[in-house]
Amino acid sequence: MATRGILLASLVLSCLIQACYGAVLFSSLKKTLQVTTSTKQGVLQSGEDKITVTWGLNQSLPAGTDSDYKTIEVTLCYAPISQKDRAWRKTEDHLNKDKTCQFKLVERPYNKSLQTLDWIIERDVPTATYFVRAYAFNADGHEVAYGQSTNDQKTTNLFEVQAISGRHVSLDIASVCFSAFSVVSLAFFFFIEKRKGKTTQQK
Amino acid sequence: METPPSPRKTIPSFTIPVDSENKATQFHPFSLTSPHMLAFHLAWLSLFSCFFSTFSIPPLIPIIREDLKLSQADIGAAGIASFVGSIFSRLAMGPVCDMVGPRIACATLSLLTAPIVLATSLVSSPTSFILIRFLMGFSLANFVVNQFWMSSMFSGCVVGLANGVSAGWANTGSGLAQLVMPLIFTAISHFNVPSFTAWRLAFIVPSMFQALTAILVLIYGQDLPSGNYKEFKKTRNNSKEGDDNFLHVLFNGLKNYRGWILALTYGYSFGVELTIDNIIAQYFYDRFNVNIQMAGTIAATFGLANWFSRPMGGVVSDAMGRSFGMRGRLWGLWVVQTVAGLLCVSLGRVSSLWSSIVVMCVFSVFVQAASGLTFGVVPFVSKRSLGVISGMTGSGGTVGAVVTQMLLFSGSEFSKQTSISLMGLMMIICTLPLTFIYFPQWGGMFCAPSLDPNSAAYQYHLLQ
Repeated sequence: MATRGILLASLVLSCLIQACYGAVLFSSLKKTLQVTTSTKQGVLQSGEDKITVTWGLNQSLPAGTDSDYKTIEVTLCYAPISQKDRAWRKTEDHLNKDKTCQFKLVERPYNKSLQTLDWIIERDVPTATYFVRAYAFNADGHEVAYGQSTNDQKTTNLFEVQAISGRHVSLDIASVCFSAFSVVSLAFFFFIEKRKGKTTQQK
Repeated sequence: METPPSPRKTIPSFTIPVDSENKATQFHPFSLTSPHMLAFHLAWLSLFSCFFSTFSIPPLIPIIREDLKLSQADIGAAGIASFVGSIFSRLAMGPVCDMVGPRIACATLSLLTAPIVLATSLVSSPTSFILIRFLMGFSLANFVVNQFWMSSMFSGCVVGLANGVSAGWANTGSGLAQLVMPLIFTAISHFNVPSFTAWRLAFIVPSMFQALTAILVLIYGQDLPSGNYKEFKKTRNNSKEGDDNFLHVLFNGLKNYRGWILALTYGYSFGVELTIDNIIAQYFYDRFNVNIQMAGTIAATFGLANWFSRPMGGVVSDAMGRSFGMRGRLWGLWVVQTVAGLLCVSLGRVSSLWSSIVVMCVFSVFVQAASGLTFGVVPFVSKRSLGVISGMTGSGGTVGAVVTQMLLFSGSEFSKQTSISLMGLMMIICTLPLTFIYFPQWGGMFCAPSLDPNSAAYQYHLLQ
């Protein structure tokens, strides 16, 4: 009877643990990392301009805070103004549903010293306003801490990126030529039909 | 349709059995020898290319929305715009077919909308994106041409089957586009082309395909079993009774309440299908975090089911008609469409990826069969005004798509899954008016045929 109870309890407990396994909440993460970014003045061009990111553990924290940090992932995240009316960029507390940070700058093993990265903004990055966030992962691959280059309300130190235009002159010319071909071939057919009609009438 | 007399030519011999009007009495989908089957293949292929083009945009929206800085409201407006154009073009296409013949109507529409498909690669703002989707929607009027052409080529005993198969096979274009466009996009991206250029290049494929099918229609197509409209225009003009007749036919169709009810129910079978085609790839991409090719594949299975489910609807309608008459056809339509509505409600309620996929697949079969069953009832509403009734019903389909997208999918008030469930609820409610359809000589869902010989004769006369 007792063993059955223990078995049932451990089954329920393991199920709960399984349920919690993938559900790391952002609100449960400790803000222990310090992240700073420096960019040129004005709007940044994707594919050309770079962001210099520096990150490391906040030195004012007690030693041993970072005992379980194994890897650091630095990501590019949307600022609230770029998330408005765009559900595909929404911030959710469940980290595996969160869509705030969609671009990974780099993933490195955790190092106690200050780290720097010069990242040229990739051409796939869309036009929007961003900040940078770094997540610390433990050995199981779960987020345990974070740091970001902006304040908690995500209003300071944001930078704007202007995406590349996908259009090219060659594509424009090809489109115009093909469209002309389409309309001309229709006109040509009408002309041929009219000629055929005239010759059958003459016969 | 009258058989134009051709005194100088001998009666053409066909490799397929025909009736007195030279319309085929059998349906052989895997043959190309007779003008009937050739017309069938050209008709479904050209409508297929139009569906492919119109639905080539939705699977790429996750990329396009980032490039053009679209908001959810913009995407919703573009989805609505994509069907608004086709509402009017479908209504206008009936008379146009009558005037110039289906071959010229189909090819002209396809060749004039192919440049618009390619122009998608030139858009760079939300406004131009909405405009492009509006203009592209005009090509869906080819559906009316398709059904008109089949009715000219096939006799009454197989016209339902021919209509159902050609519309069903053409509708798979919407599914194939969801599958193929992400693959084309990924293939182009492999050549180190940034994603914001790769999606633009991908539109070369649908536009060239559309132009190609239009050219094939012009070269190999034929309006009637015995030739083209132009050759018989003189004789047709002589036997025509003038413009009053055309207006009479038009008003006869418009004032028939059954046409309006069928337009409403078609709006909630085919309209729902169009809406789902527009939103489903984005839904799976956003809600279940699958990548763009996977989202496209899942969305494609919805459209590809048309290959058999819409023809099956037509076959079921014919079978119900044989066993139970008009009552059977109406009940069949009501049952299938209501079940589709229930499945739509549950699609919005399930929360795992695989259960969503399974529910979506079963839902696709039922909603597409409902579209096929609708056009099993349409030919019986009015024989004289068949074109007008078909055009009304066809337009009703796109009106339903526009209304549904406007109410449920163009803002951020409801989550997508709630909107899908609400759409299912609307389907169930809007299928109920079928109970009001009553044919005096065939009955309705709950009423037997009228025993009054006067009223039956009058209604039948109107149906001539």
